[in-house]
Amino acid sequence: MIFREVEDRDLIAKARRGGVEAYNLLISRWEKRVFNYLLRLVRNREDALDLSQEAFLKAYQNLGKLEDAGRFGPWLYRIAHNEAFSLLRKRKPEGDAEPPPTGEARSFRMFPIELTLAVKSALARLDPDQREAVILKIYQGFKFEEIAEVLSCPVSTVKSRLYTALDLLKDTLAPIQTRGVQ
Amino acid sequence: MNCSPYDLKDFFFGELEAGQGRQMEEHLEGCSECREEFERLRLTRTALDSLREEEPPRRIAFVSDTVFEPRWWQALWQSGPRLGFASAALLAAAILVHGLVRPVPNVSPTPDTAAIEARVGAEVARRIAPAVQAAVSESEARQAKKTEELVSATRKNFELQRDADRVWIAETVTLLQKKYNVLQLASAEMGARP
Repeated sequence: MIFREVEDRDLIAKARRGGVEAYNLLISRWEKRVFNYLLRLVRNREDALDLSQEAFLKAYQNLGKLEDAGRFGPWLYRIAHNEAFSLLRKRKPEGDAEPPPTGEARSFRMFPIELTLAVKSALARLDPDQREAVILKIYQGFKFEEIAEVLSCPVSTVKSRLYTALDLLKDTLAPIQTRGVQ
Repeated sequence: MNCSPYDLKDFFFGELEAGQGRQMEEHLEGCSECREEFERLRLTRTALDSLREEEPPRRIAFVSDTVFEPRWWQALWQSGPRLGFASAALLAAAILVHGLVRPVPNVSPTPDTAAIEARVGAEVARRIAPAVQAAVSESEARQAKKTEELVSATRKNFELQRDADRVWIAETVTLLQKKYNVLQLASAEMGARP
């Protein structure tokens, strides 16, 4: 954790008073994480950027509704989640995911870029709820309680989605790792 | 895989308490199936970790523009101290305005005391005569009743006294008559003696 002279809650207090620069500083602390969360969820860079901007704008306009400034992270992700799923609902059902690698393809050692593509492909085959659980837990490092807060659902539901997703990913990715990466 | 004492994925994500974790470690040492499953989870996690974070294509930043600024009422509403101060100021202003513009009652600076006294006198006279009359009548009636009761009681006492006097007079006359008779008899006896 990098030492921060100014805490997020101080920036939030200034932003609530109309301090745009304070809010821009807050954005700079969170934008990469939020962008990557949305990118892995919607799998499109432009959409992820648009959704990030929209999420930060809505967060700014609703800062007054944030009861505990110390919970800014989960609250921001909740807004981003709503924006992402609003887009995903408008999209056609996801059917463009690549099929899992064939037995022949899986028999070779992979280059790192191929592993990255295999991981992206495996994530794309999950349904959005499962994929989001994996992103929030493994890539964003949230606790189960925080994920439940972001998704507005019980912890048991979060675990169920994550563990099911992990079983699916394991079938594809564990054999690749076993063979090794060049 | 149901042979482990706790959920293997809970253990994998560090969700178990320390004692439970130690039990799982001991179980994995002796159970090859669970150990292999745990290893597959670890490989999957390693594969997932190979996906690096990407930089946003553009930085997100807002400029100080009225489009992005909260409206004045939003800023006011979202700030407790400001809202409290504004409410107090509004209340103070309302009191001040009320004090300045409220209609003043039309009161004559020099009241006509003679007219008021005349009116008061007439009203008092109009009300006092019947009141006095009623009070006098009531008092007279009360007095007459009391007088009648006193007269009645006196008359009764007088009659009782008169009856008593009559009895006393009659008894006295009888006594005197008897004494006279005794004297007559005595006198007669003395005259007959030689």
